[in-house]
Amino acid sequence: MAARGTDEARWLARLKLPSVAALYLHLPFCARKCAYCDFSSWATKPKDPLMEDYVDALRKHLSEAEAAGLLSGCETVYVGGGTPSFVGAPLARLVQDVRSLLPQVSEVSCEANPDSLSDELLGRLLDAGCTRLSVGVQSLFDAELTELGRIHSANQAQQRLGAAVEAGFDVSADLMCAIPLQTDESWRASLEGVIGCGVGHVSVYPLQIEDETPLGERYRSSEPDFNDPEVQARRMELARDLLTSAGFRRYEVASYAREGKDCRHNQAYWTARPYLGLGTGASSMLTREGYGALRKVCPQLPEPDDGTRRVRLTCIDRRHELAAARSLADLHFDLEFLSEVQAAAEDLMLGMRLVCGVEPGLVDHARTVLGESAVDETLAWCVAQGLVAHKGPRWVPTDRGWLLGNILYGRMWDLAS
Amino acid sequence: MKKDTSHIRNFSIVAHIDHGKSTISDRILELTHTVEERDLESQMLDSMDIERERGITIKSNAVRVAYDSDDGNTYQFNLIDTPGHVDFTYEVSRSLAACEGAVLVVDATQGVEAQTVSNALLAMNANLDIVPAINKIDLSSAEPERVREEIEEDLAIPADDAVCVSGKTGEGIHDLLESIVYLVSAPTGDADAPLKALILDSYFDEYRGVVATVRVFDGAIAKGTRLQMMATGDVFLCDGVGCKRPLETPLPELGVGEVGYVVTGLKDPALVHVGDTLTTPDNPCDEALPGYHEAKPMVFAGVFPVDNKEYENLRDALEKLKVNDPSLTWAPETSVALGFGFRVGFLGLLHMEVVKERLEREFALDLIATSPSVDYHVYTTAGEMLDIKSPQDLPRPEQIDRIEEPYLNAKVIVPPEYMGAVMQLAIEHRGITKDMVYLSEKSVEMHFDIPLAELILDFFDQLKSRTKGYASLDYEFADYRVSDLVKLDILLAGEEVDALSFIVHKDKAYTLARGLCDKLKEIIPRQQFEVPIQGAIGNKIISRSTVRAVRKDVLAKCYGGDISRKRKLLEKQKEGKKRMKQIGTVDVPQEAFLAVLKVDDE
Repeated sequence: MAARGTDEARWLARLKLPSVAALYLHLPFCARKCAYCDFSSWATKPKDPLMEDYVDALRKHLSEAEAAGLLSGCETVYVGGGTPSFVGAPLARLVQDVRSLLPQVSEVSCEANPDSLSDELLGRLLDAGCTRLSVGVQSLFDAELTELGRIHSANQAQQRLGAAVEAGFDVSADLMCAIPLQTDESWRASLEGVIGCGVGHVSVYPLQIEDETPLGERYRSSEPDFNDPEVQARRMELARDLLTSAGFRRYEVASYAREGKDCRHNQAYWTARPYLGLGTGASSMLTREGYGALRKVCPQLPEPDDGTRRVRLTCIDRRHELAAARSLADLHFDLEFLSEVQAAAEDLMLGMRLVCGVEPGLVDHARTVLGESAVDETLAWCVAQGLVAHKGPRWVPTDRGWLLGNILYGRMWDLAS
Repeated sequence: MKKDTSHIRNFSIVAHIDHGKSTISDRILELTHTVEERDLESQMLDSMDIERERGITIKSNAVRVAYDSDDGNTYQFNLIDTPGHVDFTYEVSRSLAACEGAVLVVDATQGVEAQTVSNALLAMNANLDIVPAINKIDLSSAEPERVREEIEEDLAIPADDAVCVSGKTGEGIHDLLESIVYLVSAPTGDADAPLKALILDSYFDEYRGVVATVRVFDGAIAKGTRLQMMATGDVFLCDGVGCKRPLETPLPELGVGEVGYVVTGLKDPALVHVGDTLTTPDNPCDEALPGYHEAKPMVFAGVFPVDNKEYENLRDALEKLKVNDPSLTWAPETSVALGFGFRVGFLGLLHMEVVKERLEREFALDLIATSPSVDYHVYTTAGEMLDIKSPQDLPRPEQIDRIEEPYLNAKVIVPPEYMGAVMQLAIEHRGITKDMVYLSEKSVEMHFDIPLAELILDFFDQLKSRTKGYASLDYEFADYRVSDLVKLDILLAGEEVDALSFIVHKDKAYTLARGLCDKLKEIIPRQQFEVPIQGAIGNKIISRSTVRAVRKDVLAKCYGGDISRKRKLLEKQKEGKKRMKQIGTVDVPQEAFLAVLKVDDE
C-alpha cells in the first residue's frame, strides 16, 4: 500500500533496513547464580577455559556477520550476561575486536557486577574502547543483597560505582524493588546511594519471582507481601519522584538518565530498529532483508514464510556448543516470522514503553496495515482508560499506563489478531 | 418349556464408603478370570474418569462372570454395581430390583456404620437375600467377632454365615463366591411367557445408538426381536444383545433371569427410561414391572457457554449426554449477563457438578453454571400460578401474592451421639424435626421436613462433616408450602447481574448477602478500576464489598531484547482472561456464579 506521508515513509524505511542498528553479545557466565535469576547464565569456575573458547567463537561469529554486511549500519553494541565483567581479560579482547571491526559505533556498553569490576579490568575496558558500564547493584543493604543471593556487599558496590565513574565511563546502576526485607526507607536510601556515586543512568525493576528459581521455590504460590503489586507500584513511583527531583529524566518504563545519558542501544529494542544478537540465548530482530543477508552465511536457516516482514531469532545452542561452533553456519535458532500486520502491532506495543511514546509515522503506518478504525478505536479505548495520552503529534503512555503496562501492551498486540 | 435358571445369580455389592466394595469387585473379576491381574485397572467397574477420580459410582454397571463352584457346576454371576449417592436413590432402587441378592460389605475395623444400615435397609426392602461379608481381615486392628455381633444386633441380619474376606489379599473371596451360590436365590421366571425386562440403565454409543442395560424377568430377547417400551410406547428392532465381561460380548440371546445389554439402535436417548419395562408389541406382557417413575429433576441451574458462539455445541452436548443420563432436562434460558444458555434440571447438586464436568471434558466446552434453584410456585396478585425455576423470572414484588416452595420429608440415620448436631443443622436450614425412632442402640432414624432449597446448598456436606460421615440421608418430595422468600440481587460496579440473583428466605437474606459479597470479593480478580459489589433486595442495598483496583501489572524487565518471550507472557495472560466472562466492564471468573455454594457458614 502506498505511504500516505513523509512520517510514514520514514518509518517504512526502518522496516526494510538491510543491516542492523544494534549488536548484542551475550556472555552466559556468572560466579554464582542469583536467587531470582532465570536468565540464560550458569555458575562458572574463575578462569574456566570455556570462557576463553566461548569468547573466541563469538569473535569469529562477529567478523563473519560484519563480512556479510549485516553490521554496516550498526551504531551501538551491548555486551550482556551473565556477568561479562566476570569473564575478565577475554571481555576486553572482545570489545577491542568490536572497535576495530566497527569503527562507526559510538556506544559500547558492558554489564558488570561490583565483585568482578577490578581497577585492572576498568583500565582494560577503557583502553579497548568501552564507553558505558551497566552495574548490577540491586540494593545498597547487605541483608537485602544476601536474600537475593548476590555475592557482593553494599560497600563494594558503592566503591566500584565510584571507581567506574572516576575512570570516565558512562555508568548505569541497576536497582531492584519489592525484594525481601526492603522498606520504603531502604529503597530510598539505595536510590540516593547510587545517585551519590555519580552515575548518570539508573534502571529500576520490581523483582519478578520466577518459577524454577530458588526464590520461586521459596515463595511458590504464596504471594509474599514484600512483592505485592501495591508495594511494587509504590516503590516504582517513589523511584520516579526521587530520581526526577535529582535531575534524572525517565525515558523508558524502567530507565532514568541525566541529559544525554540515555542508553541508545536499549532504545533500538523499542523503536523497530533491527538488532543482531550473538551468543547463547541471544535474541535478534531482523527485517526480511536483513534475514536474507544472514541466510547467506547461515544456510541452515529456512526461507521465510510468504508475507514475512520481520524475523525474530533466538540462538538455542548451549555454551559448549557455541564455544565449539566455528562459524555462524553451525548455530541453531528458534525462529519467529512476523507479518507486516504483526510487526506493526508489535511496534505499537514496544513504543508504549517509551516516555516519548509512539511517533506519528508508526501510527500512520499502523492505520494503513491494521485498519484505521481498529487502530483509532484501540487508542481511544486506551485514552478512555487513562493509559495513554495524545501529546502533540505523539501518543504517549501515562503514569497509569506505566503501572498497567501489561494491559496497554496486550491491547496493542491484540491488534495483530 | 421352562428354561433352567438355577445356575444364575444376580447380585449387587453394597457398603459404607471406603469399606472396600470396589476392591472386592476387582477381586471377584480376577478370581473368576474375567480380567487378568495385569489388565486390572484399579476399580474396574467405575469406568468414567470422574468416577475414578472422585471414588464414587455414578452409573449403574453390570458385569457377567463365570464361576466354577466347588459343587462342580459353573454359575453365571451378574454383578450389578449401583450408584452411591443420595442424588441417585431412584437409580439404586432400580438396580436393586434387578437383583436377587446383595453382598453387604462391612469393614472389620470400623464395624456397622450409617450407610451400612441404610444400604442394608434398602436391600431388605427390595427383598434381597443378604450375604454379609466382613472385609479387611488382613489388618491387625480387625475385629471380625465384634463386627459379626454388630451385624446381628444392629441390622438383625443372621451373621453366622458372614464370610471373612480381604479384598486386598484375596483371602476368603473364594468362600464369598461359594456363599453367593448358596445364599442368593436363583432367579425365577417363565421363559415361555411374554417378554418382561427391566431397564436399569442406558448409555449412548455413537454407532449403535442407545444401549440399554436390562434384566429379563420373563421371556427372552434376541437380535431382530421387535421390542416395545411400556411407559413410552415406543417400538424398535433389537440390533443385538450381549453381556459385559467387562468388555461387551455379543450373545445369541438374553434369556430369562439374565442381565445384559440390548442395542436399541435408537438415536434419541430420551425415549429410553430407567425403570421402564421392555416387552414385545406382538405379544406384550400383562403389566409393567412396578416401581417405575420418571426421574424428576429437583435442582435447576443455568448453564451458559463462556463463548456465546458455543451455544449450539452446548445443545448438542446436552442431547448426547442425555443418552447416558436420561434424567437430564433443559429449556433455553437467556441472561443479560451471560447471553444464551439453558436452564438445566438435575437430580441434585452432585449430579449438577458431574454433568458440568462431563460437558466440559467430553465436549471441550467452557461453561458457566449459575446458582442452583428449585421450582417455586409463585401466585400472582392476578391469581395466576407460575412455575419459577430461575430467580430472574420472578415477577416484581408488587405482583406477587405469595410464593410456595417445595418441602421434603427427609430421613437421617445417625448414631445417637450426633442427634444434637443433626437437629441443630436442621434448624439452621429451616427444618422441622417431626420424630425420631431408635432402630437399635447404635442408630436413630430422624424425620424432618425441610425446604428443598436448603437441602441443595450445603446440607449434605455439612451433615457429613458434623456427624463425621456417620449420617446417611434419604428424602422424598412432600409438598409445597408458603414461605417468606425474597430475591437477592447482586450489583457489580452498580449494574445488576441477573445471573447472580438468588431466591432466599427473608430471615437469611442479610447473612447471605454479606457472605456473598465477601466471597465474590475473593473470587473476582483486581480490575483496572475499583469494583463495588453490592447485595440488594429490591432497591435497598443490604451489603457491600469492594474489589480494589489493580495498581501495577507490568513486566518491566526485558533482557537483551527478547521480545518473543514477552509477547508470549502477554498471550498467556490473555488466555487466562478469555476464560472469564466480561460483564459490563468487569471480568468475572466462572466460579463467581456459584459463589453462593461457597459462602462460609459463620
